Amino acid sequence: MQDALLDGFRSVVGPANVLTGVALGPWVVEGRTPDAAVFPGSTEEVVGVLALAAEAEAPVVPWGGGTAAAVGAPAARAGVVLGLHRMSRLLEHEPGDLTATVEAGVTVAGLQAALAGRGQWLSLDPPDAERATLGGVLAADASGPRRHLYGTARDLLIGVTVVTGEGALVRGGGKVVKNVAGYDLPKLFVGSYGTLGVVVEATLKLRPRPDAERLMAVSFDRLKDAGAAARALMGSDLVPNAVELLDGAAAAAAGAGRAPGAVLVVGFDGLDEQVAWQCDELARLVAPLGGRQARALPPETWPRLAPAARAAVEPPAAVMTFVVLPMQVAETMEQGATAARARGFVSAWAAHAGVGVVRAAVAAEPAPPPPGPLAAALAEWREMAHAGGGQATLEWAPLAVKAQVPVWDDPGAAGRIMQRIKRELDPRNILNPGRFVAGI
Amino acid sequence: MAVLTESRKASLRRELEALVGAGAVLADPDELLVYESDGLTLLRALADFVVFPTSAEQVSAVVRLANREGLPFVARGAGTGLSGGCLPAQGGIVLSLMRMNRVLEVDYDNQLAVVEPGLVNLHLSWRVGPRGYYYAPDPSSQQACTLGGNIANNSGGPHTLKYGVTTNHVLGLEVVLPDGEIAWLGGRTRARAGYDLVGVFVGSEGTFGIATKIVVRILKKPQAVKTVLAVFDAIDQASAAVSAIIARGLVPAAVEMIDQLTIQAVEDAFGCGYPRDAAAALLVELDGLAVGMEAQAERIVRACRDSGAREVRTARDEAERQLLWKGRKSAFGAYGRVSPAYMVMDGVIPRTRLPYVLRRVNEIVAAHGLRVGNVFHAGDGNLHPNILYDPRRPGEEARVVAAGAAIMRLCAEVGGSISGEHGIGLEKADFMPFIFSAADLALMQRLKHAFNPTGLCNPGKIFPTSKSCAEVGPVAYRPHAIEAKGLAQRF
Repeated sequence: MQDALLDGFRSVVGPANVLTGVALGPWVVEGRTPDAAVFPGSTEEVVGVLALAAEAEAPVVPWGGGTAAAVGAPAARAGVVLGLHRMSRLLEHEPGDLTATVEAGVTVAGLQAALAGRGQWLSLDPPDAERATLGGVLAADASGPRRHLYGTARDLLIGVTVVTGEGALVRGGGKVVKNVAGYDLPKLFVGSYGTLGVVVEATLKLRPRPDAERLMAVSFDRLKDAGAAARALMGSDLVPNAVELLDGAAAAAAGAGRAPGAVLVVGFDGLDEQVAWQCDELARLVAPLGGRQARALPPETWPRLAPAARAAVEPPAAVMTFVVLPMQVAETMEQGATAARARGFVSAWAAHAGVGVVRAAVAAEPAPPPPGPLAAALAEWREMAHAGGGQATLEWAPLAVKAQVPVWDDPGAAGRIMQRIKRELDPRNILNPGRFVAGI
Repeated sequence: MAVLTESRKASLRRELEALVGAGAVLADPDELLVYESDGLTLLRALADFVVFPTSAEQVSAVVRLANREGLPFVARGAGTGLSGGCLPAQGGIVLSLMRMNRVLEVDYDNQLAVVEPGLVNLHLSWRVGPRGYYYAPDPSSQQACTLGGNIANNSGGPHTLKYGVTTNHVLGLEVVLPDGEIAWLGGRTRARAGYDLVGVFVGSEGTFGIATKIVVRILKKPQAVKTVLAVFDAIDQASAAVSAIIARGLVPAAVEMIDQLTIQAVEDAFGCGYPRDAAAALLVELDGLAVGMEAQAERIVRACRDSGAREVRTARDEAERQLLWKGRKSAFGAYGRVSPAYMVMDGVIPRTRLPYVLRRVNEIVAAHGLRVGNVFHAGDGNLHPNILYDPRRPGEEARVVAAGAAIMRLCAEVGGSISGEHGIGLEKADFMPFIFSAADLALMQRLKHAFNPTGLCNPGKIFPTSKSCAEVGPVAYRPHAIEAKGLAQRF
């Protein structure tokens, strides 16, 4: 890295907020050490840093809590880490409007704690809430079990302030909950993995905290029966806020109990009487389908659900995420596990069953497996998902495996539009180059 | 834009007829007149052709022909839009999608439907209703407006307070891109890798291409519904009640406000049971589980009474509930009883600013010597001031336009938006600088350029016509560029 560029960064953010050399340990991703890490303390400083990087055509890696830093295709050049943790203020919260504006570096847990004091919450529950920042959650489109009822970041983000790869400060959306003026820019940045701009501020829709919430678990001898129970639940009058399907290993890892087949975990919130009635109804609904031991789980189980598959085979050799139709979830889990077993791997599976998001972790004894056979197993999983009209993302894998199995699906004809958007918004290609779909 | 010669026009007509069929092309001025405006009749623009394709392939073929000829083109649904968004601002081809109105598939297990863009919004709920499902976004024009139009405008409706607007219900789109290529954005599953192209396409007002197949979520009908009418002697009390409801931790399915002028018009026209002497009424709807419904309704009643409601009652049965909603949804039609014409405004403000903004709206309109009726989605701060006027009185229209601009300025000043659900279209293009900077608009232009590099797909919409944004004043009416060129006129 040129000294002049580093000096430029130091003059923008102050020398104490530019790290180089051995101090960069925490920002090493997949063995790549960045050229520098820069920590701006204001929007103006982000603008300054990106303007300098753009001029030098130095790649920039926007960084929140680093929880998704290894997701994506490996970058050709390590570049400059742009860390946002110094920008973590709650800028506005008007409870009567059910909206809040925050800086991107606030952690999800920090934001929720601040909102809870006023009886509200952001209805988004991604994993690693203590570390994950709001900006990172938006960039990675991270979510958790409660997305079943409350949707994902795209449904909650109403306004966004970003700094583009050319150092321009741009606002999209607004601060009101309903708004169709101009293009829906907030949607563009959700799930864009920092390839189009650096989110510095976000305005979000909030919800009042429910009076009561309870998490229920039901055990099944067969995964298939648990899938049928999920289907019956979806067709019923109940309004669950989470519908999670975990195989035996994942259920045990999440502390959701033991079952030879699977555990269906269902959340309910609302008034006390609504929660109580729905828990009773759930037990009644699943009993004829083979559901046993309907029981309440402690609230601490919530954050353990989304990472359950991975936790079950820690350390995993690879993690793959699938998006399929809700009714294909149980079959996907069963087929995938069978396919892995046939290749001599163990796997664990957990799903946000009501929305069709399935996560699988694979491992081998003795670990770690050689990359060739692992890559073949992952490729088979992906084909399985595609055959049913679904998608697959290689969420985590060693570099040697990523060299053989693409991280992202081919987006098809839409990929051409995505590439054009990237070229329009980041013409110098400095924001996370090469990390995302279609070579973006 | 180039003016087509008669012979060129005749040969293009034959080509279009070869693509979509002889009975599916209009080119005679008398026939084209039907398509010269949408629900905002202040603006008009004439197409060279209106075509009625029946498949994505036909849409694609027409779009490719338009590209070859350098002709602008724009999709049109039922024409119920309220911002001139589907007008052929620079002439060219209007693609009416009204013959593509089939429900292609309903997958109840996965709670989705695949439909064509010309399908009428309400017809989807009719179709899936017998199985206990419905399509949630419910614009007031839902008996006529189409899903394709809803996609273009990201349409809302009363029940979007709890359930979200169109974009929250669309999973995937088959689109004909502005160069004629057919591509899928999203699909039947929840998400796929890459940018959220569905998210940016919805609400792009027809400038990113033409949707030819639409995958939407369908929802289970709620087990129970309860509708509460709260009557107030002061409009400030009704505004305060909206915040009081939110403050009590409730998110009703809908919170609608109706002011006195509107109540009287509705009662004259339909007799729906609203008290004529009330300053304002709130229509609050709760839905969800039967268990707990009474307790929630009780919270609503208390919030309204604590805010000074003189009367709060619950609809006794479905017939009374339907009657109350008829009053709300027919309000626009009822204005015909009290005024020869009206202009619907659409703006959004933070909910907590309702008392101040409603007072200012009434002051602004009065200062322009006009009357206003308010009937709107109070729960999410989406105002619809309806300015009443008589187009036969000289000068009155200009005052309506001026008052409307001042109201938009007001929405921007309190941190709101210049459109909650009607879109920018032609009507509000010059108001965009009220809420967006030059850099914001430049980024939007780049996004547009990624989809629509030639600009032939629905030109003249969304973006301000004037380079010098600062000149846009709230009072002075300036002719739109297409009016100045004689391509459109206000009447």
